[in-house]
Amino acid sequence: MTGPVPARRTSPRIVLVHTATFRQARRFVPYALPALAAVGLGGGRWTVVGLVVAITLVSLATATLSWWRFSYLDGPGAVVVTRGLVSRSVRTVPTDRIRGVEVEAPPLHRLVGLVRLRIDAAAGGSAGVGKDEELLIDGVPRAEGDRLRTAVLSSRSRSAAPEHAEDAETPSPEETEEEFARFDNRWLLYAPLVGGYLAVPLAAVGALSRVVDEVPDGALPDVDGPTVDSPGGVIAVVAVALVLLAVGAVIGAAIVNWRFRLVRRGGSLVAVRGLLTRRHTELEIDRIRGVAVADGAGMRLAGAARVTGLVTGLGDAQRRGQLLPLGPRAQAEALAARLVEDPGPLTPHPAAARRRRLVRAVAAGLLVTAAGAVLTATAGWWPLLLTGVVLTALGVPLGLGRYASLGHSTGPRSFAVRVGWLVRERAVLERRAVVGWQVKQSWFQRRAGLASAVACVGAGRGGYIALDMAADEVAAFAVAASEPWAEQLVPAPPTAEHPRAG
Amino acid sequence: MTTAPSPVRDPAWSLPRSAIGLWLTESLINAAITVAVVVALLVWIPDDLGGPMPFLRWAVPIAAAVDVVVTVAVRPWFKHRVYRWEITADAVHTRTGWLSQTWTLVPVSRIQTVDVTRGLLQQVFGLATVAVFTASSQGTVRIWHLEHGMAQRVADDLAARAERVRDQAT
Repeated sequence: MTGPVPARRTSPRIVLVHTATFRQARRFVPYALPALAAVGLGGGRWTVVGLVVAITLVSLATATLSWWRFSYLDGPGAVVVTRGLVSRSVRTVPTDRIRGVEVEAPPLHRLVGLVRLRIDAAAGGSAGVGKDEELLIDGVPRAEGDRLRTAVLSSRSRSAAPEHAEDAETPSPEETEEEFARFDNRWLLYAPLVGGYLAVPLAAVGALSRVVDEVPDGALPDVDGPTVDSPGGVIAVVAVALVLLAVGAVIGAAIVNWRFRLVRRGGSLVAVRGLLTRRHTELEIDRIRGVAVADGAGMRLAGAARVTGLVTGLGDAQRRGQLLPLGPRAQAEALAARLVEDPGPLTPHPAAARRRRLVRAVAAGLLVTAAGAVLTATAGWWPLLLTGVVLTALGVPLGLGRYASLGHSTGPRSFAVRVGWLVRERAVLERRAVVGWQVKQSWFQRRAGLASAVACVGAGRGGYIALDMAADEVAAFAVAASEPWAEQLVPAPPTAEHPRAG
Repeated sequence: MTTAPSPVRDPAWSLPRSAIGLWLTESLINAAITVAVVVALLVWIPDDLGGPMPFLRWAVPIAAAVDVVVTVAVRPWFKHRVYRWEITADAVHTRTGWLSQTWTLVPVSRIQTVDVTRGLLQQVFGLATVAVFTASSQGTVRIWHLEHGMAQRVADDLAARAERVRDQAT
């Protein structure tokens, strides 16, 4: 089958990158540690130097080996990757199973002018849930990366439309490029209000403290933390910590989203982003089934939102599906409406739903209050009672807020559901995206005349819930939000049915 | 308790009576475990610990007793009334649960795979579960506790029909 096209190799420069990052050697660490422990680290400085040299040599050797044993081939019908240090593995992925290609350029790769390709492929046949596979071609020159990406993607569209088989090598010259979104650096200021980015500095602090824990006590300089006893000092420390947190979040957001740009090129959406690692993600517009517009409590304060594409068969959808990582609400809504028809304003849910949200939000607080009351009466220990009362009081706005978020709407081609308060998300989905309905009703919901409908979709989180709808509206909503088969959910006057299938 | 009308249409067919036997057996096993734990609690934990212990010493056994009575004497028959299934011309429809109920409808055109599984207890009672998978992680329908031959026929029928009308839209 190979015939005229010889298998291609990655650039030898990748050996440098992999040696420096111990990419292959890393996996020996679990074996090396016990061995080291057995031998013991007797000597002084020279042992350490020897060790470093040895590890580098091992890394160099393994990196070279795996470069030498790695080859790839993008044939007309499939991409073949051959690799393996000891046991050879040959993976053949037919191009029609390829769902997307992501080109990444991490900092070290950029230094030596290389990129890394992730080819996202649907696994063969079976259950289809979470079985996606990825081909990694690490370390090709930038131009070859671009060539490979267009070759793989265009041969895929060619196999879908065989009549264009002629212009195979020339990827249609004037591919129209249309800009959908461009990141404005001012939007980075939203970052401190977004939970995800706030976690970045916290994670850094956590990692640092773990490292410090590992270091033996004697090796650490003996720093006495400034003693804080005055209330002013406490406030100052908290303020400094908050500022650092905010700055960290902005930096984290900048590293990930730097010069983010979303363009439409032919039938694909291409997102480019990243300060250190440039990432180049391509999504097929045909596979976009909906969009999710997320605006958490903090983001709502600043009028910001995030847009994620709900794409079928996309591995790591949370990261790759991002269409607008962070931006003003109006921009986010406009982008969402551009991709999926807006089904119109949301219909709020019945008053019983508000009662239910309130009860659920206060329940935990009431439980703590009750326990606190018992403790106060029996042991005279009141802090728990106070905590319970505070929790209950906080539950009221939370429940009201959660109720205010609830809503659903249906349009001619799409529908929307919204849920959540701290993390609020409105999902807008095409009707054809729904692969099933799940209607849930607890005993309490039944008494309150409510029910929840989950639209099952093969994209995004897999299911989007319309929480606490009026029970008698569920069937109509399901019919309006999916294809004709859902009419079977409409309750009919009881008739004699055929008794059994077989 | 079930007087309120269902929010959506109920599937037409009920499960074989042997499912009650299976649920009853499950409940009895769980009840045995519960009783063992409660007895262990009463025997091993001294009652002079103070705090909430005197209260727990009578509250936990009562709660356990109520739980055992409900799960053994009521739940199997109640579940048999709730669990329903139906295969229509173009969809699979089920109702499951007992206090909280779930209706699931999946069109045949969106079925990806169909599995028949038989647990240990199910084999004792000659039953099997038909699991219907779609592209959505949440859109899985399970038809619990059908007679084994019936389950196999249903699965084969669904798989064959899904093959014919498969919809690539997902």
